[in-house]
This record gives sequence, C-alpha cells and structure tokens, in this order.
Amino acid sequence: MSTLTIENLSKVYPNGVKALDQVSLTIENGMFGLLGPNGAGKSSLMRTLATLQEADSGTINLDEIDILNQPIEVRKVLGYLPQEFGVYPRITAQQLLTHLAILKGITNKSERKDLVTYLLDKVNLYDKRHTALKGFSGGMKQRIGIAQALIGKPKLIIVDEPTAGLDPGERNRFYNLLADLGSEVIVILSTHIVDDVRELCTQMAIMNHGQILYHGSPQHAINDLTGKIYQKLVGRNQLASYAQDYQIISNKMVGGQPLIHVLSETDPQDGFERAKPDLEDVFFSKINTAGTLV
Amino acid sequence: MFRTTFLSELKYSLRQPLVYIFIVIFVLLEFFPTVSDQVQIGGAIGNYNRNSPFTLTQHLTLLSLLSLVMVITFFNDAALRDYKHQFHEILFSTPLGKAAYFFGRFLGALLIATLPLLGVFVGMIAGTYLNSTFGWLDRSSYGPFTLDMFLNNYLLFILPNMFLAGAIIYALAHKWQSTVISFLGGLMIIATYLISTSLNSDISNESLAGLSDMFGINTYDLATKYFTPIEKNTISPSFSGLLLQNRLIWTSIGGMVLLWSYAQFSFKPNQKRRKGKEERPTRKEAILKPPRIKPAFNRETSWIQFKSFFHMNVVSILKSATFKILFLFCIIILVIDLSNGFENLGLQSYPLTYIILDSIEGKTKLFLIVVAIFFSGELIWRDREAHINEVIDASAHVSLISMLAKVLSLMSIVVIFNLVFILVGCAYQLFNGFTRIELDVYFLDFFYSDLPLFMTFSGITILVQVLSSNKYLAYFIAILILFVFESVLQILDIRSSMLYVINGPFLQYSDMDRFGPGLEATLWFNLYWVLLATLGMLVAGALWNRGSKKSLSERFARAKKEVPMRYRGVIVLTTSLWLLVASIVYYNTQILNTYHSHSTQEELAAAYEKKYGPYKDRGFPKITAIKYAIDIFPAKRNVHVKADIELTNETSAPIDSLHIHSQEGWESKLRIPYAKIVYTDEAYQYSIYELDSPLCPGESKVIHIDNAYITKGFKNDRGNTDICHNGTFFDNSDILPIIGYHDEIELRDDNARRKYGLLPKEGMPKLSASIGKAHMGTYGFKGKSDFIQVETLISTSKDQLAVAPGSLINQWEENDRKYFHYKIDTISLNFYSFLSADYEVARRRWKGVDMEVYYDKKHDVNVEMMLDAIERSLVYYTENFGPYYHQQARIIEFPRYAKFAAAYPGTMPYSEAFGFVMNMEDSTDNNVINWVVAHEISHQWWAHQVMGANMQGAKVLSESFAEYSSLMTIKSITDNPMKMRKYLTYNHDGYLRGRGGERGKELPLYKSENQGYIHYGKGSIILFALQDYIGEERVNAAMKNFLDEYKYKGPPYPSTLDFLRQLETQVPDSLKYLIEDGFKEITLYDNRLEDASYEKLANGQYQVTLEVESFKIKSDSLGHESKVPINDWIDIGFFMDEQEERLYHSERVKFDQDHTSIRVLLDSLPVKAAIDPRHLLIDRVYSDNIKSLHAK
Repeated sequence: MSTLTIENLSKVYPNGVKALDQVSLTIENGMFGLLGPNGAGKSSLMRTLATLQEADSGTINLDEIDILNQPIEVRKVLGYLPQEFGVYPRITAQQLLTHLAILKGITNKSERKDLVTYLLDKVNLYDKRHTALKGFSGGMKQRIGIAQALIGKPKLIIVDEPTAGLDPGERNRFYNLLADLGSEVIVILSTHIVDDVRELCTQMAIMNHGQILYHGSPQHAINDLTGKIYQKLVGRNQLASYAQDYQIISNKMVGGQPLIHVLSETDPQDGFERAKPDLEDVFFSKINTAGTLV
Repeated sequence: MFRTTFLSELKYSLRQPLVYIFIVIFVLLEFFPTVSDQVQIGGAIGNYNRNSPFTLTQHLTLLSLLSLVMVITFFNDAALRDYKHQFHEILFSTPLGKAAYFFGRFLGALLIATLPLLGVFVGMIAGTYLNSTFGWLDRSSYGPFTLDMFLNNYLLFILPNMFLAGAIIYALAHKWQSTVISFLGGLMIIATYLISTSLNSDISNESLAGLSDMFGINTYDLATKYFTPIEKNTISPSFSGLLLQNRLIWTSIGGMVLLWSYAQFSFKPNQKRRKGKEERPTRKEAILKPPRIKPAFNRETSWIQFKSFFHMNVVSILKSATFKILFLFCIIILVIDLSNGFENLGLQSYPLTYIILDSIEGKTKLFLIVVAIFFSGELIWRDREAHINEVIDASAHVSLISMLAKVLSLMSIVVIFNLVFILVGCAYQLFNGFTRIELDVYFLDFFYSDLPLFMTFSGITILVQVLSSNKYLAYFIAILILFVFESVLQILDIRSSMLYVINGPFLQYSDMDRFGPGLEATLWFNLYWVLLATLGMLVAGALWNRGSKKSLSERFARAKKEVPMRYRGVIVLTTSLWLLVASIVYYNTQILNTYHSHSTQEELAAAYEKKYGPYKDRGFPKITAIKYAIDIFPAKRNVHVKADIELTNETSAPIDSLHIHSQEGWESKLRIPYAKIVYTDEAYQYSIYELDSPLCPGESKVIHIDNAYITKGFKNDRGNTDICHNGTFFDNSDILPIIGYHDEIELRDDNARRKYGLLPKEGMPKLSASIGKAHMGTYGFKGKSDFIQVETLISTSKDQLAVAPGSLINQWEENDRKYFHYKIDTISLNFYSFLSADYEVARRRWKGVDMEVYYDKKHDVNVEMMLDAIERSLVYYTENFGPYYHQQARIIEFPRYAKFAAAYPGTMPYSEAFGFVMNMEDSTDNNVINWVVAHEISHQWWAHQVMGANMQGAKVLSESFAEYSSLMTIKSITDNPMKMRKYLTYNHDGYLRGRGGERGKELPLYKSENQGYIHYGKGSIILFALQDYIGEERVNAAMKNFLDEYKYKGPPYPSTLDFLRQLETQVPDSLKYLIEDGFKEITLYDNRLEDASYEKLANGQYQVTLEVESFKIKSDSLGHESKVPINDWIDIGFFMDEQEERLYHSERVKFDQDHTSIRVLLDSLPVKAAIDPRHLLIDRVYSDNIKSLHAK
C-alpha cells in the first residue's frame, strides 16, 4: 500500500498566476479523480508530481520518496501520460514502446519484448506494431500514450486528460485497463469530464484557481448535496432575473429550453422541483460559487 | 484575377520588413567596395574604374549568389503561405482561377526578389557621388554612368537569375510543401555554380563551362577575359554571343520547370501517400497476462538506455528527408569533382590518396558543417517538437546519458558521411586502375582532422542549442560562431589558432613527408578543442532543460541543487585537464615560438625601411666564395650550418663596417675577425660591426657563421615546411645572414606604404643602354655577389641522402650519420640548394655528365621520362647555345608543400605535386614533364651562365629564353607542327588573361618588369614565332652570340638591348618589323577568316577562295588600342581533318589591306581553312581564324 502525501504545495508563475495555492492532499492506492475546469491548476499539479516542474514551497512524498528533492527515485516508479502526448514520426509503435521500456528500466530483453507485445495487444495496436507512427490517428497515438504509461512496475500513474480524442469504445477499453491496475497502485486521473470520475474513482478532489475545493469520495460529495439541489425549466429571457434571485450553479439547455439548477438549503418554491444531485452538481456547486451563468 | 493575386503578393511582401533589410544589406555591400580598397568583392579592382560596367557586373553576379539565399523566402512564402495559415481550404473554394493564382503569386514574388539586388546599383551610385564630394579615393578612378549599365545588368543577370532560381524554388515548394526542402534547393543551385567553376579551370572546356553556368557568372568572365581596361570601363554586358545563348538556355529551362510545376499544381489538397505496407493481421500468440518484469536501475541500465537513445537518434536522422538530400547532394558533388580529375596544364594527376582527400575536404566540409549545425538543433528539440518530451523527461534516466547519445549520434552521422566519402574515393581510384590505395592515410587523416573537428563542432552546436531557448536563435548563434567569428578575428588581426575552430589543424599529406611538420601541433590543438567541447557537453548535460521550459537562471539554480558531486568532479577534472593542455598549447605557440600579427609585420617592415633605408647605397663587400658545413637532423627537424664566407671589397673605396642581419628563426653566431659590434637591433637581429682596419678595395676577408635552426615544441601554425622529417629543402638565402640593406623586407603594397608615410615603391630601374649603376648587379643578386666558388660538407641521418650542388667528391658514414662532400665544378651564382630525404636514385650518363633523378620510391613512374628530357635538353642546348659546364644534372624531388621546380647550379629541385605524380601514360602531345624539365635545364644557360642586369626586361633573358628553349626541345621531337600549337595555347592564354588583369601598366616585352604573363607568356610566343619567320638557327645564333659575349662574366651585366643588338644582325630587313612589333611595342592582331569556299575544277584540282579580314592593333600600356595599317606576312593553311591535326599546304602571304581575297589551287579537298593556322601571332580571338570549307 502506497501513500502520496502532498502538503501545502504552492507555485506562482512568473506572470503572477497562482497555479498551485497551498494544495494538500493524501492519496492512497486506487483511482483518484482530479476534477477541475480548464486552467484550474490540474496540469501544474500533475507536472509537479511527474518531476517536470518545480514548486515554490510545500512537500510531496510518495511513501518514503521526497518527490521534489529525489526526482530520480520517483521516476523509477512513475507512469505518466501527459495532456499533450506526441510520438516520433519516423519509427514504429513497437520501436517507440521498446525505447520507452528501456528508459523505464526494463533491461531484460525477453521481458521487454513480452511486455511490449502485451501492451500493444491491450491497447489494440498489435496489428499496427510495424507501422510508422506518423500514419497514426490521434486516437491511436493516445493509445500508445496509455500503453507507455503502464510500462514497468509503477507505484504512481498519472494520466492527464487521457480520454480526449478517444471514441467511446476505446474509452471503455482504457478504463478497464486502469481499473485492472487500480487496486495495486495509485492512479491519478485528471479530467474535466465528470462522468469519468463518477464511473471510476473511489476518491476525488475538485480543484479551481490552484486550490483544492473538495477532497473525498464522490458518493460522499453527492450525499452532502442531497435535498439541496432544485431545478426548473425557465424562459430564456428570464435567466438573468433568476440569476439575481437564486444561487444558480448551472444552466443547460434541455429540449431547447434552459434548465437551471440552484443550490438551496430550503425549497425555493416558485415552480422549482427537487432534483437528485449528481456529481455534476457537486462539481458546479464547488466551482461556481459566484453563481454565474454560462 | 491574375492582377489581383499579383498585386496582393506585392502588397504582402512590401509590408514585410525583410525586403527592405535585404536592400539595405546590398547597398552597404556595394557601397564599401566602391569607396574603399579594404573591402573587396571577388578580388581587387584592377586598373579600371571602380564604378566601371565591368566592376558592376562582376560584383552584381557574385552578389546574386548571396541574394539567392535571401530570396528563397519570397518564393517559398508565395507558394506555402496559404498552407501554413491553413487558409488554403478557404481560398481554394473561392472562384479563383488556377493559372491566375499560380502565376500571379510567382510573378509577384519574382518582382520582389529582384529588388534586393537593385541595392547594388544604389550602393555604387551613392559611393561614386559621395566619393566625388569627399575624395576618399582618387577621383580619376571613377567614370560616368550610362543607362545601359543598369538596364542590361537587370535584364541579363538579375531578372533571368531570379526567374530561374525562383522557378525551381517555387516548384520545389509546391511539390514538397517544406521550407527545408526549398532551402536545400537553393543550396543545390549554388553548388551547381561551384561545379561549373571547377569545369572552367581547363581551357578546352570553356564553352561548356560558359553554357553550363546557371547564372552566367563564368560566362561573363569568359566573354571579358581578354578585356583591356578601356573596354572594362566602357562596355556593358551585351545581348550577344555565349552570354545571350546562356541566358536563353537557362531562362527556358526555368520556364519549363515553372510550367511543369503548374501542370502538377492542383487546388485539391495533396493526397498523402500511405507509406509502408498494410500489415496483414497475423495471428499472434496473445499475451493475456501482464508479463513478470523486474525493472532495474544500475550501471547496465544506463548503458542500455544510452544505446537506445543513440539508436533512436541515428534512425530518425537517417530517415529524415534533410539527411537524405544532403547526403545525396554531397556524394553527387564529390563524384562530379572526382570525375573531373585533377588537371594540371591539361594533364591528369594520378588519383593519389591525398589528392582524393583534398577533394573530399574541399567539396564536402561545408556540408558537414551544415549537417552539424542543422542536426544539433533537430536532436535537441526533437522531443519537444514531437511532444514526447514530458514522457521522456519523466523517465528514469540521467540527462547526461541522453546528451552523450545526442553528441555521439551527431558524430556518427559525420562518420557515416566520411566512410562513404572514403568508399567513393577508393572506388574512384580502382576505377582509374590506380591500386596504391592508402587506407591508413584515409583513416588517419579522418582521425587527425575531421573527427576531432566535428567533435568540437558538435560540442559547440549542442551547447548552444541547450543554452538557447529557441532553436532558430541557436542556429543563428552557431552560424555566428562557426562562420562569422573567425572573420572578425581576422579583421581584428588576432592570429592565435587557439581561437580558430575551423582553421586550426594544419595537415597536408605528402607521400614523402606523410602528415608533415604540422602533425604535432594538430594533435595538441585537437586535444585542446576536444576537451573544450567535452566541457561544453558536461555543462550542457547539467543545464539540460528537463521538464517544463525554464529560464537559464532557473536551470542554473536547479543544477546547483541537483548535479551530483561525482558529476561536479568530472567537470572540475575536465576543466583542469583543459587548462593544462591550454597552457601547454599557449606556452608552445605564444612563448616558445612567437609570431607577429599582420599589422606588427607591416609596422616592422615600414620601420626597417625608414631606419635602415639610408644605408641602401652604402658600399658593402661582395661574397666571393663560401664553404658550408651543414648538419641536418631530420628526426628532430634541426639544422646546423657553419659557413666560411669570403667577402671582397670590389668598390673603389675602403669599407669600415659591416651591416649584417640574421634570419628569423635562426640562432645565429657570427665571428668576424678583427671587428667589434657597435650596434645591435634585436627587432631585426640587425648588427653593425666596425672593422679594426677598413677593408681596402680589392682586399678580402673571411667571416665565420655558426647558425642553428632548432625546432622547439610546436607553433601557432604548421611551422617550417622547409625542414621536415623526410624531404628537407632549403637554399642559401634561407640560412645565411644578410649582408647589407635588404630591400626584400620593404612593404610592397602601395596603400600600406602610404599608411606609414612611405612613397610608392619604385619599379625596376629603367632600361638603359649607357652603362650605369643598374648594370653592376643582376636582378637576382643586385651586386651582392657575382659568380663564386662553393664547397659543401653536408651530413644527414643514416637513412637519408643529402644533396648539394656540385660533384660529389667524397662520402662516408660516421657516428651513425652519412656525410657528403660536394664541390662545384665551375664558378656559379650564389644560389644554392640543400636537400635531404630517403631517396632512390636513377642515373644515366651522357658525354661525361651524370644525369640523376632523386625520387621517393613511390614515385618511380615518370623517372625514365625525366632522364630522357634531361638528355634531350642537354643535346639541344649544347648544340645550339654552347657547352654545359657542370658534370651533373640532377632532378631532386621535394614535398608538395610548395608546387614549383627551380634551377640551382646543375641541380633542379622539383615538387612531388607535379611531374612525379602526373599521369603521362597516354599523353603524347602535351608532355608537361618534357616541358618543365627542359625549362629548368635551360636555366643552366639562361640565368646560370648569363643573367640580366637589374633593370627592365631582365627576366626576358632568363624566363623568355628558357620557355623558348623548352619549346624548341619539344619541337625537336615533334613530327607534327600542329602539336606545338597546343603548347602555345597555354602561353597565349596566359598572356592575354594576364594583361587583362594587370593592375599597373603593361610594358612592351623588352621593358617588362616582374610581369610573368609577359616574360613567360608573351616572350615565348614572340621568340617562337620569330624562329618560324627567320629560321631556328638564326634565333639560336643570336642567343648563342649574346651568351658568348657575356657568359660567366661579372659586371657590367647585359640588358635586353644587348640581345636585340645581336638579334638584329640575324633578321633580314623585310622582317625587321617583327622586332619592333614583338619586343618594343604591344602589338595584337585581329585576323578573321570571313569565308572559305571551293570549286572543283575540270582537271580534278580545287580552286579555293578565302576572304580574310586582318587588322593590326597597337596598344598602349593602359590598353588603349588603335588600328595601324597592316603590311605583314601571315600564314594561311588548310586542315585535312576536323580535329585540325593534319595541316596541308600552308603558305605565307603578305597582307597589306584590311580585306584580302586569296585564291589557292589545291590537289586535295581540305576540311578547314585557316589564317595563321599554327597560332604564331597574338590574336585576341583566335577561334574565328578557322572555318570549314563550303562549295561555292
């Protein structure tokens, strides 16, 4: 059982943006979802965990490894799929994975060969193993990225927006892969897709403006909201006045008409009906505290 | 539609700053050469106007090569801009016509591309007008401008050249849609120019070279090669002849390229071809369970990671289009260069390994530098550009591993290039049936020069890439370091090789001396650079930007925190090692062996002249006899010289002091009996000795010299190439101190002289008949010695032979060394050579003369031919000019560090670079060995028996005579008179080109000064023609009579007037004009066969009618030409074959008008007719003298 402990991690970019603001988290084996809108600081956190970026203050420990000061040690047990994953165009899938396997310490040739074959098969690219990567579609490249993140014996796997560009079938396949691993290692899944977290993660955090707004299990967060979410279909021109009167956490179109969700301790009446909260409501209730319309 | 695209292209480009920057660059590039001598384009401006049409075209054509690199952008942009901005899909869906789009863009770019070069016009005009105001340079060297100067240049060069280059680049851009490929296309075009230049070096290929030059640069040079200054000042390039043909050919080629590209062009997006075979799904043994693996991180892991990195890098470079193109391109250039052979006077040299290496070095180095710069950027930024950097960076490898792998893969690319070059070289050698392939030389040369050089380059370029935050900025800095930095150093006159990365090593392989005297220095400098590069690598490894982009200071901070102690230790160790090597190099090149910067040299020379010039005319004693004792130590490259020099006062006044200065680099001890030093000047090692009692007229005194040349460590450059391990060659002027004022030290360049307040250097003393001071010395010795008696005792190591002039009267071995005692058989000039090497000797005897060739055992192929040539020369010269006074005639080989042959008394050192390595197997008609050997042997008469007084025309009496004599020996074995025409062609060409390039005044033959093109080129033609007109025996008799009058006599020495006096008695009055025209004036002919027709007569004979135009032209010394009435005898003749080898029925006809019709009855029908068929007369355009016959 591994534990990743992040304490008071802060980072301010030279342009003044606070990417990480006193972030503290404790993560244990299993799938951990990091949810946040674009620009929330998820990728900064991911990159810092992956030893690619320095922090201004704070500590990160993976068991006994001090990640900020022992980057070499953590790299030995790290699987990382960055948000933007590309490939060398002129070599084949097999060559690339073999190279990356070597970088991850798989020095035994036959082990490496088996591993690469296994992973290629897992991501359904075995048939394409001798094709130059420049001919791969975005989804195929992403699958290579997933395969490489699983190489070795990682204790910590970080996947940043992994399902972008994957079709639903590929996405399911990917999640099955992750779920297989989930119990033995720490998997941090950064995403802005609420469904991903709900389906996969036992623990999660919601992040915005560099701060952790929520940390706990998804179900617990949903439970917290039980009885506090109300919804109503409203006229398009009425939206503004509702926004003034209620704390709207989200508005979306349903059948051509705006459906608003509001957070309220008491029943607001006025035609609102109680809604069963879901993770999306949790997400919006945490990040949209100002009640802005979208 | 067309107008819209055309105008929008113009508007777009004119809004970019680039075009204006380029224009300004060209204005400046032309402005400075126009108003200053310090800045030159393609060489100095001769004795024609600084703003002449010739200057303009020359500069413009050369600069157009540079502009090409600039305008690639315009054409590439015009083709690719829409794709780059992803705008093409929108644009192509508009109702825009394909032709309007394609040609509108192109012509817009073309017009823009011609703008930068207009800056050249502006620069020249601005320079001319500003100079007329400020008078920086003499205003008389500027002339008026004419409109056609600009118009013709624009229409003949700028527009067609940009059109051609633009069409190719535009087509490439459309086809490949890659900026890289467009730029490579530009490079390729420049290389084509270089190939055409190399073709131009052989005369017979001239028209081909003229037509094959894409830019007409060589074509223009050919068209103007015989231009006189007046013509250069007034004639703009014209729409005619070879130039027009060239322009039409290449413009139509450009047009075709453009049309082809248009035909290929389509608005539909390029269907990307699917590469690689479709994989057939194979049934695999599925691995369903994750395999058991044991990741390991230890030393072995690092090694395997290194190999994997290296493999990935090399594979991706090898697969890149850039590599493939550069590689192919390099090979093509090399193969073309090799297949041209190694020409020398129309002959081929054997493809020796070192010659191939020179070719590889010369043709490919620039590309390898480009490879190093380009791929350093590719390797460093590859991960980031592929967006895989975060994965790689987050993996558990040490940064230095990946860095080392990058350097090593860059190196191995260079190795691959070189291996293939070597393979091509060997294949070429074998293909030519040459089997002495020296693989060791190929590889050693690679290890000594290219490998360390590119290790250094890779270190530098990679360090720059790592430190820089931008790939292109780093390219720019690398280019600055590798190309511009050294020019800046040169401008600043900083010469320490410790700062010159590229020009460091000084190797030149010689079959005799192997890698030569520079090897030690090269190895030290290599170590110095490689260590520095290693240091750069280590720093790059520590500052490598791993993870997200960080500023340099952040990376420093991080490195401070993270770089492990061991790594720091290695950096410290490397630094101290480098410092150690640097101080050794510094000690050797700056302290142990010193050198002067150019400005110091100039200052010293100027100060010398000011300080000691007043002693110039002071009486000094002559050297009248010398005894040498010389010990050569080849292994250490040391020489000890002891000499007893007898000095005699031949002036009419007593001499009370001796002015002596020692040679630089020699430790000199002087012992002068009964004298004391009264003055010493360390800067020139100049001493004045006061004699206890003055040396009276007629009195002699022996002084003793003990000189040593000690090679210490290594130098800042290659070092002394005279004294080497195998093939030492020096002469008395290299080793003995100089007695009296030495005018050779004086500054020669008039501008430099002006800078130091010195008057322009006087030319040779004027030719004069009345005996004066100038007659008292020869041009070679200036009265410091006449004919003297010399004896030499010379020793060398046991494995070598040492040779000095004279008969070998004794030889023995002692203390493991060889000793030789030589004594000259007859008094000779004080001009003595000393050689030592591991020689083979070939001997032959002819009438008591030992003919000997001393050669390196690898070079035996032409030795017999040399002996034949010596014998033939001795036979002809003794029969025609008089006895040979030495008992030996030796040819002695020396290493190729210098390329000449020279004549010392009875001894002719001859460079290995020509003659010994020439392929003479199937050259019957152009035998350079016969030619050169005969020339040098004839100097045993013309120079060594009689030498001209130190005045104008002096060299005619040695060089013109030698060249003539040499031609006559060849004539004596030539049965076909047409063969001599081939030899004469080189002399004609040398003369006409030489006079075109004259920076001072062209003087008539008998007054020529140090003007090789006159006394070699013109002199031999005039004398050869003369013997044809008045008879061989008469010319030879005049020369013999002249020789008999003066041979081995001291002053007064003769001048050309003394020879002409003898010559005149041999020339009939009807031909006296030949002396006047040939010797005393500058005379040219403009003969032309306008028409040649025949009629078959009833009796079977042929009536041939020739329409001949003949003009006689006199030129003044500046090239002002004027026609004079003709009244001359000129040959007409016929050829029976197309090759003009079978001359048939030649007769000499008197021409006394401009147009002459000549009828000749012939028995057979010739193919061609000619005026002056054997090319005896100097004719600016000879090719129009010959025409094929046609039926009337």
